[in-house]
Amino acid sequence: MIPEEQQDQAGLYALGLLEPDQTAAFELALSGNAELRALLRELREATGELALTVPAQTPPESLRRRVLSEIALRAQEPTPMAQERSSRVWVPWAIAAALLVFCGLLAIDRVRLQQKLTEVRAEDPLMQTVFFTLAPSEAGPAGAKATVAWLPGLQTGVIRITNLPAPASGRDYQLWAVDAVHKDPISAGVVRVDKNGVAQIRFKTVEMAQNVKAFAVSVEREGGVPKKEGPIVLVGTA
Amino acid sequence: MAFETPQQVSDREMIVKVARGETAAFRALYDRLSGPLYSLALKMLNDAGEAEDALQDVFVQIWSRAKTYDPDQSSVFTWTVLLTRSRVVDRLRARERRLRVVTAEEQGRKVGDASTAASAADIVDKNEEVVRVRSKLNELPSEQREAIELAFFTDLSHHEIAARIGQPLGTVKARIRRGLLKLRERLTT
Repeated sequence: MIPEEQQDQAGLYALGLLEPDQTAAFELALSGNAELRALLRELREATGELALTVPAQTPPESLRRRVLSEIALRAQEPTPMAQERSSRVWVPWAIAAALLVFCGLLAIDRVRLQQKLTEVRAEDPLMQTVFFTLAPSEAGPAGAKATVAWLPGLQTGVIRITNLPAPASGRDYQLWAVDAVHKDPISAGVVRVDKNGVAQIRFKTVEMAQNVKAFAVSVEREGGVPKKEGPIVLVGTA
Repeated sequence: MAFETPQQVSDREMIVKVARGETAAFRALYDRLSGPLYSLALKMLNDAGEAEDALQDVFVQIWSRAKTYDPDQSSVFTWTVLLTRSRVVDRLRARERRLRVVTAEEQGRKVGDASTAASAADIVDKNEEVVRVRSKLNELPSEQREAIELAFFTDLSHHEIAARIGQPLGTVKARIRRGLLKLRERLTT
């Protein structure tokens, strides 16, 4: 059974009305909840149907030509219209070809620069650091915040938390990495705050994270859990 | 994957071909979807030129992002509607102009007009699906209909919607969710 609050969030998510932090928290919840995903699909379909309630208008034929011409260019194949044109149309094509060559040169230059940047980054792991700012979710305590410095190359990071009250007895805070290629969030271990609600901890994810999109802190059973179960209290993207 | 109507299956087959770079399939998809998507863009933007530009952006996105379409998340039609709405909202925000089409009262009247059996729009549409969806939308309690129409057809945030209709945020969220679920339920039974 999905809590009503989460169902409401799903409605707003389907309409694109959630704030970025709320979106990240909702997507985190979505990743491990098939029932919530099914509800979201229903809500999305209802949203799609709303478009049919609008009085029908016919788009102009000129728009069709514009769109199909652009797509034909993108597909790098001539449109039927282009085939009918006279041979004088070579001029714009020549300009386009010149631009293409110019863009190619720029692309080569960009690749070179990227290679150089990669080399520099490889030499100094600190250059790879990505910073995430975590803010309270709707269920989280107002005023709590955290910053994560994540080094993807070393698969390690540091989290600093402030103003986060200690969890209830028998509970622990647990850090999670939301990775684009993993269905479920990856555990980065239990995080314990001191009596002032502060923690600064070095962590490592339990699995290889390839493309971390967000970090989140949830309340879990004491000692932590292998798969996220409890509510998110802090969440944030890079 | 959820149950699919024959039209949804056909749309999905077309988008697979579009993802492979087949322009003929793209043309077919354009002919199938441009009407409702243009109508939506025009209603929200209230400007034919801007609606055309938005629709061009949307179809270029469909072409370039067809490979990312996920049938588990939505039907092709819904996916393109949400892409269109997103592009239109970007444009509305960019020009910092609130939608003039919808105020709560105006919308009530407009929808009321549309629900009339002999409404002009219905006669023009001659489209059973459109009439059916309109009719089901009109069957929703007016406060739910108002909330989801403001949420869908404008670029207002949920906080702004709550302020507009003078209700607490939690009430607005619940009305949106209940309205959408009720609409979906009525359309699928």
